Amino acid sequence: MSRFFASRIGIIVSGAIIGALAALLVLWGNPPNMGICVACFTRDTAGALGLHRAATVQYIRPELIGFILGALLGALLFKEFKPRSGSAPLIRFVLGFFAIIGALVFLGCPWRAYLRLAGGDLNALLGIAGFIVGVAIGVFFLKRGYSLGRSRPVGTAVGLVMPVFALILLLLLLFRVSFGENAPIFFSKSGPGSLHAPILISLAVGIVAGFLAQRTRFCTMGAIRDVIIMRDFHLLSGVLAFIVAAFLVNLAIGKFHPGFAAQPIAHSNHLWNFLGMVLAGMSFALAGGCPGRQFFMAGEGDGDAAIFIFGMLVGAAFAHNFNLAGVPDKIVDGKLVVGGPSLWGQIAVIVGLIIVAAIGWTMREK
Amino acid sequence: MEYGVVVFYSTSWALKAEKVAKEGGFEVKLIPTPRQISSDCGTALRFRWEDREALLALLESKGVRIEGVHKI
Repeated sequence: MSRFFASRIGIIVSGAIIGALAALLVLWGNPPNMGICVACFTRDTAGALGLHRAATVQYIRPELIGFILGALLGALLFKEFKPRSGSAPLIRFVLGFFAIIGALVFLGCPWRAYLRLAGGDLNALLGIAGFIVGVAIGVFFLKRGYSLGRSRPVGTAVGLVMPVFALILLLLLLFRVSFGENAPIFFSKSGPGSLHAPILISLAVGIVAGFLAQRTRFCTMGAIRDVIIMRDFHLLSGVLAFIVAAFLVNLAIGKFHPGFAAQPIAHSNHLWNFLGMVLAGMSFALAGGCPGRQFFMAGEGDGDAAIFIFGMLVGAAFAHNFNLAGVPDKIVDGKLVVGGPSLWGQIAVIVGLIIVAAIGWTMREK
Repeated sequence: MEYGVVVFYSTSWALKAEKVAKEGGFEVKLIPTPRQISSDCGTALRFRWEDREALLALLESKGVRIEGVHKI
């Protein structure tokens, strides 16, 4: 069993299953080309908790809860639950913060970039190109000796923080708890936050993805990094299977619409699609994993990955409170109005690039 | 041919180890950390098991920090 998951065929099958389920989630109710988007779903969850008040993107996403619980399950079953922490947690918070700001300028993390491509959104190509450049810059820093230091085994409580947080979120969602008038928990009535598959389906898909990813090390960033560092295509084969499976499902359910203009929840501002994902790619590379991977590691007991996720949660809140996130393209009176980030969003990306590069340059072990 | 892998807690140490080992004339290759050894998606250094003592001595003398050594 373990041998299967470690094999090439194991990661291809797992990537294909996750990709197919992600595309199907759109059929079951999730927003277009957003069956799974770790950044968007973290943003929606931050909104549901009232950390930002963008009314169209507020929903506690069960997929993310499933990611954590599925990874926890995989880790417990195979004796890989290892509470650990202490590898520059504050830096990881900052990396999470800027990773999601970059991702939300593009309107998607690498997961959604791949799913957007699988749905025919060609703007994703700019995002993916930026992402690859970002990871390559991260590898440059790794070659210079970049390291956040080693983590150490810690008490079980540290490893359980994220799973318990996930369970609390699940209860708040299931019981639609209200903390008062105009107070959380918020549920979007329109926009992407109002579009979602039934809770149990979303949760189940999340658990399956979390379990498979924990077993196989599926990582949308590691896939690119391993090719750059050592010409190894193991993880990439999983990501390619993910894209192809999502593409085939999209074809079958009539959700493949190739083009640049007015794609769903996307903008065709090429420069900022590219730069937003350079920032995200650098941040994920320096943190050692894509956003999905951070959730899976948090489920395995990695306290530093949990801090990264809290950084993303806070970053998402800032992205919407400060109008940093990209605005989708719109059709007004039959004419295309190209979206993209506000001037503040552009400034945030530049500041993020500088700060994350400074982290890459200075955090070295000799 | 029997092989072993050195695992590290940071990819940058794996890259450093590869450089040091190659300069020392060892036949090594960077590979993804085998799934059976660790659940992280990290990088490991594969080497010929017969070189084990000499390689580890070299890495230690160059200050490369390693996490562990496994036979594969």
